[in-house]
Amino acid sequence: MLLILARRALTAVPILFVVSLMLFVALRVLPVDPAAMSMPPSATLAEIDAMRSQMGLDRPLLEQYGIWLNQAAHGDFGQSLHLRRPVLRLVADTLPATIELAVAAMLVASALGVGGGLALFALRGRRAELAAESATTVLMSVPEFLWALLFIFVFGVLLQALPFTGRLDASLPRPDITGFLLLDAVLVGRVDVLWSALAHLVLPAAALGLAFAPPIVRVLRSSLLDVYHDDYIRQARLRGLSEGRILCRHALKNAALPMLTLMGVQFGFLFGGSLLVEVIYSYPGLGNLMVDAVRNADLPIIQMVGLTYCVLVLAINTLVDGLYVVLNPKLRRR
Amino acid sequence: MTVLRAEGLTVAMGDVPVLRDIGLSLEAGQVLGLVGESGAGKSMLGRAIARMLPAGFGVVGGALAFDGADLLAMPAARHRALLGREIAFVPQEPLTALNPVLTIGRQFGEHLKRLGIPRARDAAIAAFEAVHLRDPAGLLGRYPHQLSGGMCQRVLIAMAFAGRPKLVVADEPTTALDVTIEANIVRLMAELQRGHGTAVLFITHNLRLAARICDDIAVLYSGAVVERGRGRDVLAQPAHPYTRCLQLADPPLTGPPRALYALPETMPGLRDAMRMKGCRFAPRCPVAGDECTRGSPPMGPRAACFRTELTGGIAAPSLQTQQHGVGMDNVLEAIGLRKRFATGGLFRRGGTLAVRGADFIVRDGEFVAVVGESGSGKSTLGRLVVGLETASGGRIVLDGRDVTRGGEAARRHRVATVRMVFQDPQSALNPRRRVIDLVTQTLEARGVGRSARRERGRALLAEMGLPPDAAGRMPHQLSGGQKQRVNIARALCSLPRLLVADEIVSGLDVSVQAQLLLLLARLRREHRFALLFISHDLAVVRHLCDRVLVMRSGEIVEQGAVAEVFANPRHEYTRELLAAARGH
Ligand SMILES: Nc1ncnc2c1ncn2[C@@H]1O[C@H](COP(=O)(O)OP(=O)(O)OP(=O)(O)O)[C@@H](O)[C@H]1O
Ligand code: SF4
Ligand SMILES: [Mg+2]
Repeated sequence: MLLILARRALTAVPILFVVSLMLFVALRVLPVDPAAMSMPPSATLAEIDAMRSQMGLDRPLLEQYGIWLNQAAHGDFGQSLHLRRPVLRLVADTLPATIELAVAAMLVASALGVGGGLALFALRGRRAELAAESATTVLMSVPEFLWALLFIFVFGVLLQALPFTGRLDASLPRPDITGFLLLDAVLVGRVDVLWSALAHLVLPAAALGLAFAPPIVRVLRSSLLDVYHDDYIRQARLRGLSEGRILCRHALKNAALPMLTLMGVQFGFLFGGSLLVEVIYSYPGLGNLMVDAVRNADLPIIQMVGLTYCVLVLAINTLVDGLYVVLNPKLRRR
Repeated sequence: MTVLRAEGLTVAMGDVPVLRDIGLSLEAGQVLGLVGESGAGKSMLGRAIARMLPAGFGVVGGALAFDGADLLAMPAARHRALLGREIAFVPQEPLTALNPVLTIGRQFGEHLKRLGIPRARDAAIAAFEAVHLRDPAGLLGRYPHQLSGGMCQRVLIAMAFAGRPKLVVADEPTTALDVTIEANIVRLMAELQRGHGTAVLFITHNLRLAARICDDIAVLYSGAVVERGRGRDVLAQPAHPYTRCLQLADPPLTGPPRALYALPETMPGLRDAMRMKGCRFAPRCPVAGDECTRGSPPMGPRAACFRTELTGGIAAPSLQTQQHGVGMDNVLEAIGLRKRFATGGLFRRGGTLAVRGADFIVRDGEFVAVVGESGSGKSTLGRLVVGLETASGGRIVLDGRDVTRGGEAARRHRVATVRMVFQDPQSALNPRRRVIDLVTQTLEARGVGRSARRERGRALLAEMGLPPDAAGRMPHQLSGGQKQRVNIARALCSLPRLLVADEIVSGLDVSVQAQLLLLLARLRREHRFALLFISHDLAVVRHLCDRVLVMRSGEIVEQGAVAEVFANPRHEYTRELLAAARGH
């Protein structure tokens, strides 16, 4: 188990290296000039040129990468051209918000996915099955931003039941300990802050979660159907175990394996999906940071956020692999 | 006291019956054998007892009583309460009958808890000791995939007997295991059965096995009981012509060798059977008369047959003196053949030696058997010969030419000389071609004309006991056994100098097995080819082959003429194998 994690961490290093190089090159060949962008509009061409050589932009690409890598190794990922703050700080400030959103969305997706999968499985062979199945197909085709807009309209505008901008009521003080707002609210013991933060999280998390639930429904149902063809299920019935027990103790654990793989992949996509949802809900996370950076051609930020996504996905994959080993004894060493 | 009683039990899919008018009774502490060919409906009875008939099937008539209570009418909850406690089941496939993600201890503990047995751990250890499992305490923490098939079956048997049930239903409990283990498992079940006074319904396609361990036997044909009697009587003196034919189709392991009786054609399918009038065995019955097709023969004291007095007269054709010549040349010469499989990852050195230094020859036209328990390296040996594995050491000489080291010429020589036929037909048959084309594929490659191909293909299919309409079907429209036969027919269509056959008769019904054995013998007479016959069935080996190699853990521990080795086994292991096969 530990060995697998260690091996995973080791393979992550070259992957990160390659991704960073690709990001670097891709961003440098874009037709934007960071030097010009970082100067006030009144700067002269000579001043811009001076800035360019000061930033090292006139050197060969690989050398530039080497410089960047060296600085990165010392914890310096550069300055935002637009916001003029260290990129690392910017990402550190916004990442917790995004993680909070993604985890909440994943919880929603898992709850809906598992519940829906079980329900669909329970309907097997009945007439309602077809209807339920078609409904999942329809749901599957609705992207997260449509849910986001729909929820704003229904719960935010029509019913005015839930807030739909930002992370917290403007009137409340924002505790800043870990950056994870829910956690911080608990740490400072402010129920009103916790409540407000939760209320702000509901709509974006639901929109994102709802979009990612249908594939989980499908995979869980189909792997349950597969598992129920297996001999050990029949043998468990022949031992007189109740259907409930067979499902919970025998079938679910086996059916969870393919579902887990899917959820790992999805969790990675979820960070990508959170981008649009964050924009729609003005949610101050990594997505919004990224969108602003793109708008301003703020290359250091784009690069850093790209790397962060990469690290997140790798971390999630490692976690899923680890869980897989825990759940599947065949992968464990004797 | 009667534990299980079926009266007029009829199970049907829609209006097509699979079990017709079954009458059986099983007394406490007795073993009842239910014997019949594949598709006869044996498993349906077990499924009816468990109330787990396949979708679309239902009991349409008759009664099924357990311990005096109506099994079919009782509320589901009450029925379920019986399962595992009073009625237990031993499955056919032990390896897949245990949940792969739960430890043995968990699953056993769950069962014991349901049975209300306290101190589950101690009870489980005691139960494992009773089925002679080594290291019972260590076993509790293991997962099913870490156990062999035989060990899994012991665990499942321990589970079945844990609640001291009144009835144990065992559906082909040893079919998936090899002979040495089969004998142990059968002995174990008999031991527990006697010890606990349990009644056992033993479902099998093996009449010989049933006769050995069952007090009573019921023979099932096309969904109906055709003969019923004491175990030994049914095998020694069959009353129904069908049973007699089965007995004669099975090659004997002891006594003088005799020719096999080939039951023609196959058991009618469900729908065909429904349309038949009179005795359903009539089309295949050697003593059928006019009255047989007029009405259904009623069940007599022993058999459902109009002419039981003729049964004893059915005889196998007399044994032809074996006049197939074995040539002097060697088709195959293996010298110090070795195969090592790498196990584990990059960092683990070593591996397993699947074949360690095999020396043997196969002469032109000679049938040589390879026997031994599973995992002894039989299949690897065959695969080395045909080139599906590369040897780690030693040499293979085919027809005087060394083919050990690859090379295009050597490869072509090998392809021209030797071919392999597998048991598993699933992977071997192209799903998009018709049976007749599949069977004659090798002829097609050689440019034989279409009509000639068809003719040869049809003849082959008939010889394999396949119905004529099978020719036009696609592989998926055949049953498992039929696919197996198509696959074999394909290999026999144009014979190589040496055919390597891996377990091609195992799992086949004796009637089909006899057809296949007779076909092999005839082809040998007509075409002369050599055969390396990998099998665990010693009776079949004795019937078919000239010489035998006995393998154990990758080594050939004994080889010699079949008659000689079977009469005077030199190696301890050969003696063990023979004893197991004879059921001692
Ligand atoms: N799930 C199913 N759907 C349709 N037909 C089935 C199904 N299971 C079995 N049958 C048919 O019912 C008949 C009896 O089947 P059963 O499984 O009882 O045979 P069996 O005697 O146990 O054979 P085997 O020795 O191959 O296990 C066969 O004709 C078979 O084709
Ligand atoms: S009734 Fe006739 S056909 Fe049927 S088994 Fe007896 S003799 Fe043969
Ligand atoms: Mg069966």
